[in-house]
Amino acid sequence: MSEKNYAHPEALVSTEWVAAHLADPHLRIVESNEDILLYDTGHIQGSVHIDWRSDLQDQTIRDYINPQQFAALCERNGISNDTTVIFYGDKSNWWACYALWVFRLFGHTKVKIMDGGREKWVAEQRHLTRAVPHFVHGHYTPPETRSDSEIRAFYDQALAQSRAGMALIDVRSPAEFRGEVTHMPEYPQEGVLRGGHIPGAASVPWKMAVKDDSTFKDISELRQIYEDEAGLKPGQDVVAYCRIGERSSHTWFVLTYLLGYKNVRNYDGSWTEWGNRVGAPIERS
Amino acid sequence: MYPEKLNQIIELFESLPDAEKRELLISYASAAMKQGPRDGDTFDLEDERKDEECTDTVGVFLQVSPQRACAFRIKLGPQVQTLTKAMTAILCKGLEGLTPEQITEVPADFVPKIVGADLVRQRSQTVYYILTRMKGIARVWLNRERSAAPHGA
Repeated sequence: MSEKNYAHPEALVSTEWVAAHLADPHLRIVESNEDILLYDTGHIQGSVHIDWRSDLQDQTIRDYINPQQFAALCERNGISNDTTVIFYGDKSNWWACYALWVFRLFGHTKVKIMDGGREKWVAEQRHLTRAVPHFVHGHYTPPETRSDSEIRAFYDQALAQSRAGMALIDVRSPAEFRGEVTHMPEYPQEGVLRGGHIPGAASVPWKMAVKDDSTFKDISELRQIYEDEAGLKPGQDVVAYCRIGERSSHTWFVLTYLLGYKNVRNYDGSWTEWGNRVGAPIERS
Repeated sequence: MYPEKLNQIIELFESLPDAEKRELLISYASAAMKQGPRDGDTFDLEDERKDEECTDTVGVFLQVSPQRACAFRIKLGPQVQTLTKAMTAILCKGLEGLTPEQITEVPADFVPKIVGADLVRQRSQTVYYILTRMKGIARVWLNRERSAAPHGA
């Protein structure tokens, strides 16, 4: 990935690279999808399935699992603290980026995305298997706490970002941003009472960052989109949001790993929190 | 409560443990790609469109026999989710032979019984979409039948 001049080219691997490293014992390949049964229909040999909802989220309150639960999740998937985890999935890697972002919340930094995701792997007619791998349990020492403060934003922080005129990136579709619709294109309503966007947010739909084959655009194109057009500057504090935090995880990955921004936070409460919150300020345009 | 063929499928799913339920759903999803129209098929109504509520284009094709028995063919775009594909094959089989009136009266509450509550959740609600489209085309057929009937009939 060095030819694309990304800030952290090591955070991306190609489908070719993955195909050549299927037997590497220091790696674990993780598939994370929106389509809940897609992994079961066939997946990359040796890959495990981590589900954004049932594996990564607390099943009662709207939050993520705790460090002990995260360690247990890793161990049953054969992941130890020093394992490099390669994420891939459907929807141009939305949920792969989301899972990677959650791994980072727990301080797991040896993480990479397979560029192009599942779509590219399938388009290249690479092998898929239905065999579910079984690994010797990993040994995972849980972190003391989940590091929410570095890469995660909450409502109050997003509000403060808005009031201070600091960078907010709305990665939803233009119609959602303008408040014309309260659902994502091609999806049913997900229970939002108000449409619009956080005051001061810039609209940069997540899809701007990828090509037709779901791979990321090169650095010059990304700079043009996020810096020349949206006005971001390297070194700025940036908060990205969407509806539930998955599309904004994708943009968080782009800003953090490909453009090298050091202070990017994903507001995972996103519009399903903001658009329902009593008294939350909303802009429509 | 449910049409007989659909009820048999529901009872089968309800009897299965989760792992086997998933396997059967995948089997139905594979069968869904064979539910499209075939060469030589003729239909009373065809409704192929891309809606905001679904991830890809869905074509619903309805044939109603002189005895008013419905037969459906459904064409799915490649981006349709696996659960929605499975529901397509289940509905084509489970609703076959019903009258248009019966189609419009099928309650949607069987979906969690087949799919399981864990799988029907945010971002998998399109499992209901195919049933909505089938009911919709049945309603159109009924409206046309009523319009074509002599006044007072």
